[in-house]
Amino acid sequence: MSDAIIQCRNLGRSFGDFHAVRDVSFEVPQGEIFGYLGANGAGKSTTIRILCGLLAPTTGTALVAGFDVAKDPEAVKRHIGYMSQKFSLYTDLTVAENLDFFGGAYGLSGRRLRDSIDKVIEEVGLQDHRRAMTSSLPGGRQQRVALANALLHDPRILFLDEPTAGVDPAARREFLSLVRRRVATGVTVFLTTHYLDEAEYCRRVGLMVAGHLAVLGTPAELKAAHAPGEIRILHGNSALLGAAVRPLPGVHAVQSLGGGIRVRVDATHLPAVLSAARNVAPSLQVEVAEPTLDDVFLAVVQGGLG
Amino acid sequence: MNKTPTPRTQVSHRVRRFLRRTLAVSRKEVAHVSRDPMTLYVALGLPVVLLLIFGYGISFDLDRSPLAVVDYDRTPVSRNLRESLTSSGEFLLAATPDSADDVDSWFRKNEVSSALVIPPGFAANLAAARSAPLQILLDGSDGSKAGGVMGTMSALLRNWAAGIAGPAAASPIEARVTLLYNPGLKSSIFFVPGLMAFILAIAGVLLTALTVAREEEQGNLEQLFATPVGRLDVVLGKLLPYLAMGIVQALLVLAVGAVAFDLPLAGSPFLLAAGTLLFLVAVLSQGLFISVIAHSQQVATQIGALSSLLPSLLLSGFLFPVERMPMPLQVIASIFPSRYFVTFLRGVLLKGSGFSVLWPNLLAMAVFSVLVLAIATKRFRRRVA
Repeated sequence: MSDAIIQCRNLGRSFGDFHAVRDVSFEVPQGEIFGYLGANGAGKSTTIRILCGLLAPTTGTALVAGFDVAKDPEAVKRHIGYMSQKFSLYTDLTVAENLDFFGGAYGLSGRRLRDSIDKVIEEVGLQDHRRAMTSSLPGGRQQRVALANALLHDPRILFLDEPTAGVDPAARREFLSLVRRRVATGVTVFLTTHYLDEAEYCRRVGLMVAGHLAVLGTPAELKAAHAPGEIRILHGNSALLGAAVRPLPGVHAVQSLGGGIRVRVDATHLPAVLSAARNVAPSLQVEVAEPTLDDVFLAVVQGGLG
Repeated sequence: MNKTPTPRTQVSHRVRRFLRRTLAVSRKEVAHVSRDPMTLYVALGLPVVLLLIFGYGISFDLDRSPLAVVDYDRTPVSRNLRESLTSSGEFLLAATPDSADDVDSWFRKNEVSSALVIPPGFAANLAAARSAPLQILLDGSDGSKAGGVMGTMSALLRNWAAGIAGPAAASPIEARVTLLYNPGLKSSIFFVPGLMAFILAIAGVLLTALTVAREEEQGNLEQLFATPVGRLDVVLGKLLPYLAMGIVQALLVLAVGAVAFDLPLAGSPFLLAAGTLLFLVAVLSQGLFISVIAHSQQVATQIGALSSLLPSLLLSGFLFPVERMPMPLQVIASIFPSRYFVTFLRGVLLKGSGFSVLWPNLLAMAVFSVLVLAIATKRFRRRVA
């Protein structure tokens, strides 16, 4: 037995003939931000709902905070906070009323409940909006209410299902920094997202493809393993450059950008690629870039690893 | 709450958590209601409005029913008969045609709904103690009204005959009908208990029918079930505040019944309270059950309206006696609590019956509540997980 706070072994869930999640195994140690990536319908939400005790797995086992999600979902729920994909607090209640209710639902009452509410409201910076009707708040603030709600009972693990979907970039960054502050206190975060830049904040990342956990590792490991080579941005006519570069040996991926192309190529073949590019664009400007999780995602999905 | 840490058993700790969660659900429900004036209207306004509309609308009593009298006799006796009929308030002398042939046109114009023809020699026949026939013409196009007119008129005629002839001259065979519990045979007294069951059933079911369906539609259930809240917490937590509203609602309906329709309370007020409480629990549970099985507010509203309105209107004994229904309908009728509540209310309000007579109705409502709540609770989580 490891001391991981989340342990999944051969987890699977099917709905009739449809296998939403199959044979997924991974572990998350305490205090880690674990990112769960994948396209819509790849099985991210199904996995998170199984881990939260909302959905029973059809195969395999999962231990969350030491409790079996299939056998003791109530115990699991006491130790986790969950933010579902869609904002699902009560929009006809105020911020304070929502927190009051969910605190009670977690069994808090009296002084402890009031203190917890004060604490999380301050933590997410909504002191001035306690009495605001939840429906009147903009999306970013609603997300923060939902986060406050998930933190109310001091959970050991936070499950965030696409928490920043549809929120503007500034609010997203703010939200993620709130999450990271909690992680610094030892809380574990399990985050699903399809913003790949968001995944860069994660200590480790799992990539779901059609119900399978296709790859798993730190962002750096994944980039090294699945997006090897050098990245260059070549400025110029993207159609001409693309046609010249794409058939060359050692070229893994070519993406068209607005004013040029982004090419990933083995280091040994780089000089050949650059000279081929100069043939069609004599005054070529070359920019060095770093691999991103987008490169990993594209390589894994296109490489048929799923 | 208790702040001093005393040693508690695991069980009492669990009970405490259960109560806290249930109470949290109840408090939230109250907050929802306070934001939604429609719920308050359904709870408090609708019942009173329905009671007044139906209470005054459904009446088989005659009130100044227009009557034509054709008096061929033209004697003080025949005039006396005419006056005694129209002085009671049930009939209004609307026409005095000279000939029975003219009566038809009054009926066609809808200006009279009944006519009395006093033949020539009526007074003389009476004085000679011979048979003295009268002709009564009724508008048969409205059957129930015609029946009411006939009953009332024959009663008035009998009284009048007894009055002028004296008890000694009364016909040798006379049925002396005494109506118990509702001496004036006022239909409102008979209807209002059934009406109350009808109204409380509709308002009760509609109160809870939306609560779960709304949360499902808005995605709240997902978040709710990510907490340790149990399904029984939710079901009971939702039931309690609406039960409180239902009690206010029932008191309001009883008060309006007493003030506007002179509804008596012949039996025990405690028994009335107990039975009403059971019925409220039954209909609120029915609403919750519907809310759990329906997946949208629209479906919940429709099932809720149908399953409360039809049985309590048609199968409760409110308008039609259940005993005279075909067997399959009787079976269906015996499922729904309104049938038992109508019998119970008539018993406790009009007859003053006690627990020893009415307990089967109370038991039936209790069984219904427990069963429906149990199924609602059982179905709840299954659908989410």
